[in-house]
Amino acid sequence: MTSEAIVNRSLSSILRPGTGSLGLHRIFSQAIILLIVLVQVYPLVWILLTALRPAQEFAAGNPFALPSVITLENFQRAFAQGNLGHYLLNSAIVTLAADALIVALGMMAAYAIQVLGFKYSRFVLGLFIVGIVVPAHVTLVPLFLNYRNFGLLNSYWSIIVPLVGFSLPMAVYLFQSFYSYIPRELYDAATVDGAGPYRTFFSITVPMSVNTVVTVVFVNTIFIWNDFIFANTFVLDKDMKTVPLGLQSYMGAMGSIDWTATFAAVCVTVTPLLLALLVLNRAIIYGIQGGATKG
Amino acid sequence: MLSYRSRIAVFVFLTPPLLAYFVAVVLPIFQSLYLSLFEWDGIFDPVFVGLGNYVKMFTADPSFWGSLGRSLVYVAITLVFQLGVALLIANLLTYATRGREIIKTLVVLPAIVSTVAIALLFRRLYSFDPPGLINQVLSLVGLEGLSRAWLSDLGTVLTAVSVPEGWRFFGIYMLILYGGLLAVPRDLEEAAKLDGATEWQIFRYVRFPYLRPVWITTAIMATTNALRGFDIPYLLTNGGPGESSELLTTYMYKTAFAHTEFGYASALSVAIVLECLIAVGLILFMVRKRGFTV
Repeated sequence: MTSEAIVNRSLSSILRPGTGSLGLHRIFSQAIILLIVLVQVYPLVWILLTALRPAQEFAAGNPFALPSVITLENFQRAFAQGNLGHYLLNSAIVTLAADALIVALGMMAAYAIQVLGFKYSRFVLGLFIVGIVVPAHVTLVPLFLNYRNFGLLNSYWSIIVPLVGFSLPMAVYLFQSFYSYIPRELYDAATVDGAGPYRTFFSITVPMSVNTVVTVVFVNTIFIWNDFIFANTFVLDKDMKTVPLGLQSYMGAMGSIDWTATFAAVCVTVTPLLLALLVLNRAIIYGIQGGATKG
Repeated sequence: MLSYRSRIAVFVFLTPPLLAYFVAVVLPIFQSLYLSLFEWDGIFDPVFVGLGNYVKMFTADPSFWGSLGRSLVYVAITLVFQLGVALLIANLLTYATRGREIIKTLVVLPAIVSTVAIALLFRRLYSFDPPGLINQVLSLVGLEGLSRAWLSDLGTVLTAVSVPEGWRFFGIYMLILYGGLLAVPRDLEEAAKLDGATEWQIFRYVRFPYLRPVWITTAIMATTNALRGFDIPYLLTNGGPGESSELLTTYMYKTAFAHTEFGYASALSVAIVLECLIAVGLILFMVRKRGFTV
């Protein structure tokens, strides 16, 4: 469609005969929506613009102006000053390990509860609600002390364990509700063919879970990649810092911050999640949108 | 009845997840309850004080009540965005003729940014000298008089640390509410329109009653999430200046890891749990009182 046609169409929708007040109503509501979109997105665009702007220009600068020249110097400094590569590696290790555990443990629990079934299965499912309702703060002191006793402070495990524990409940619920839609006949057929509970799990349940796995992994990756509180409490060693802790170290002493390099680092660290969001866009948006209605 | 073989399988499948959950979540909760009965600096032997920590918290610690009050303000400000503005925009979005898909994606974007990055961003936005985006916009529209150092002004700091939390998950709640509004039967709205109902009346008497279950879920999610709010206030001001932006969560964290009063910090963390449970209970109570009927 040409731009002229777009203009014509929007004009006609505004000026549609007999909808005078509705037209005004529509312009007004579109203006509000536009304003909100701007408020949600402009700060992020501004981060990107700042990251691409020469440092001197930022200090002087008009926040709405486009960069006079686009520079990648800030990114160079971001990698040189901090230990950005190392932070990314640590976060990648923690995220991969935690995601793998959440998916595996979540599927196992849901399989036992929903597919195999046992007398107290509803009680066990209810037990997992605790992890959704209770704030993580209540576990910080005990975990810190336990880790100290077992020499686990400053380890990947110290972050992975609570992240898995607190993500597991939602994963169990998602897998469990999905498994309740898998027809019983499928399992009966497998049993007739002589498949035991383990083969059934690997040959029927796991392959059918792919979509739920994608949802669980995406949601948890955001949570894990961005985790601040566990990492900040259990990791003190510079070499073990994950991305959020690393970003914090760009805030120099006494507020002396190299802003353009800092925002370049922010851009680098948000890129993996942004790519995932764009690739899985439809699935995610409709997942959130439908989440509470299906509930 | 389960066969012997299946019972073994239940055990095999259930043990690893329950074990992980127990170590990371269940055990620490009980440890916190236990520790809250002691006075302990983490080095010398713990001293059993019974309910002493709780008595101190409720009767002799003004910081506790102050932080609790500020936590509630923090929740209220967050909910204005995540329930109020979100509902307005979700409703308007159902009237939008195009661009819905892109709008939905754009408003969710802040949710994937880490709290540390958000704190860095807002520290710069709120900056007074050099003027940050907010003060620049104010002088651009001729409101220089309102410019201030948002994070050190006692009158604005609590609001300033609350707004980013409302901002970052706004899109998620907006989408959930939008999904709920889409489920409202069209013919019901058409019928109301034929009877001469205004847009407001349609919203009030047709859409909202249908939305209620989703609205309640959203309210519980947003409230309990806001009660846990920690990262952004901690990173932006660490409760300061003075105690003017100290929340219950940051107060508890400081007590534990800056003052190493592990016993008292555990009592405070139990209070945070109670606060969340009371909030959920209160929401459900209000819902029940006004009736579940549509």
